Amino acid sequence: AAALGRAGPRLWRVLGGQHCPPLRALRASAVLSRVSEEHKKEPLTSPSQQQQQQQFGSHPAGHQPEREPQGPRPSYTGQGGQESEDYESEEQLQHRILTAALEFVPEHGWTAEAIAQGAKTLGLSVAAAGMFHSDGSELILHFVSECNVKLSELLEQEQKLVQLGEAEKKPTDEFLRDAVEARLRMLIPYIEKWPQALSILLLPRNIPSSLSLLTSMIDEIWHYAGDQSTDFNWYTRRAVLTGIYNTTELVMLQDSSPDFQDTWRFLENRVADAMNMSNTATQVQSTGEAVVQGLMGAAVTVSN
Amino acid sequence: AVRLCRWRPLLSRPLGAPRALRGLAAGPEMHFGFQTVTEAERREKINQVFESVAKKYDVMNDSMTLGIHRLWKDVLIHKMNPSPDTLLLDVAGGTGDIAFRFINYVRSVRERQLQRRLKHHQNLSWQEIFESYQEDKSNSLGDSQVVVCDINREMLKVGKQKAQHLGYSKGLSWVLGNAEELPFDDDKFDVYTIAFGIRNVTRIDLALQEAHRVLKPGGRFLCLEFSHVSNPFLSRLYDLYSFQVIPVLGEIIAGDWKSYQYLVESIRQFPPQEELKEMIEDAGFFKVDYENLNFGIVAIHSGFKL
Repeated sequence: AAALGRAGPRLWRVLGGQHCPPLRALRASAVLSRVSEEHKKEPLTSPSQQQQQQQFGSHPAGHQPEREPQGPRPSYTGQGGQESEDYESEEQLQHRILTAALEFVPEHGWTAEAIAQGAKTLGLSVAAAGMFHSDGSELILHFVSECNVKLSELLEQEQKLVQLGEAEKKPTDEFLRDAVEARLRMLIPYIEKWPQALSILLLPRNIPSSLSLLTSMIDEIWHYAGDQSTDFNWYTRRAVLTGIYNTTELVMLQDSSPDFQDTWRFLENRVADAMNMSNTATQVQSTGEAVVQGLMGAAVTVSN
Repeated sequence: AVRLCRWRPLLSRPLGAPRALRGLAAGPEMHFGFQTVTEAERREKINQVFESVAKKYDVMNDSMTLGIHRLWKDVLIHKMNPSPDTLLLDVAGGTGDIAFRFINYVRSVRERQLQRRLKHHQNLSWQEIFESYQEDKSNSLGDSQVVVCDINREMLKVGKQKAQHLGYSKGLSWVLGNAEELPFDDDKFDVYTIAFGIRNVTRIDLALQEAHRVLKPGGRFLCLEFSHVSNPFLSRLYDLYSFQVIPVLGEIIAGDWKSYQYLVESIRQFPPQEELKEMIEDAGFFKVDYENLNFGIVAIHSGFKL
């Protein structure tokens, strides 16, 4: 429906019969529509869509005497209901190119070259890499966001198992440890080129996006860890976990032990530190409260 | 498109009646600089302009733009960022400036690629290293090619001579052709460029359609052209320079005032950035965008065939 809405204004231009025909609407893009042919779902035939099919069918002849529709495009009179689904958006295409490009990262790094090779595997020209920035930022951000999505799915599944009673609820420190480890393990195939990626993520231009991805990931982990705080603890918890994650990531880059054992041990220690720190903090707080109460009592006594 | 197809009613121009009648026979009225001519006349006039300027084209470019046109063309190639297996079609590429820059760029990218590959393969035997050198030397361009297409034979001649003089031979071909009707098959090229040429095309919409046709899916359209300066102060300076200095330079250096008067006027008649962007979108390109260089004196439009 969204795709149809997007194609909407163009549809109106065609049906309005303007002098300079908007070729875009009728000349459905060579790639975008062809692609969705491969992902054909059950054709949904609805009467309104059928009607639009016919309207489309009657117009091309009048408006475009010199150009015929090209190649393997869905015929507007035939496919019944495929109309709106065939217009894949540019964002979705970019998404697919970036996903295909990840395969070439170990060889080419996080560069426009990897994106070009990725585009090639989709049957597009290598020039399609020009759609993205030449330093590969979008590729890295795409990868990070994909990893975060995978992590969320993982955590959700775990939570479901706990709710169904098929698994034990983990204590907080173990939960955090496992979540961070799972997320960092996703970096392993690209670990050689990851320092390059980190440096690009730290470019001023990319900081807003990379920071928001990081904070939302940390937020997700705490959410699934069962954090429901609404006070200042919310900030401290996130700051602490962000620190743990970042430092562990850096350690991982330098780690050459088998299966990154040293990294996981480092992670364990940091999480333990954080737990101790929070215990100390509560102790300090309760001591502080006691002191304050004592003072208040003294003040009341004095005033009386 | 409206700008180019100006249909004037017969009755409103009694004095120009014979002209209008001629107009009906030879096509709609168009602009040639600030004059109004028919489509056929325009083609002929532009042909003559380029025939006469061909030999001094590069010299004039340097003197008019104070050498800055080289930077503009460099920016275009950097924006393109071609990888070593790109097939480029440079339309209206007459004297080959874009083609040569493309070849240089691709060569250096390829060299870097090879160096990186060598660094990875540190444990090769001497035999293997020797073989890889052989193969790389014969493939210094990495399968990329440029086809330079121009409608004017004189410009192509000058371009070929330049190529020989500068030592460019591999991966370069020269084709005589009209941007409105390209002599190439569909879905052939990775990148289509037209640098300072689309202004001289009589039917810009046809040229854009042809560009769309010959590009592969995923291919890129790039257009480098003089455009409109929106800053009023700068625009006045620019106008002053254009109309007072350039034709004079044309007369002094190339002995041809009229051609350079045409050049300056044609810049003013060309659609501004947003309008050209819409025309490119109408031809079927996606992700169309433009980048102003020097406050809009020149603009690079880019679109993708998706």
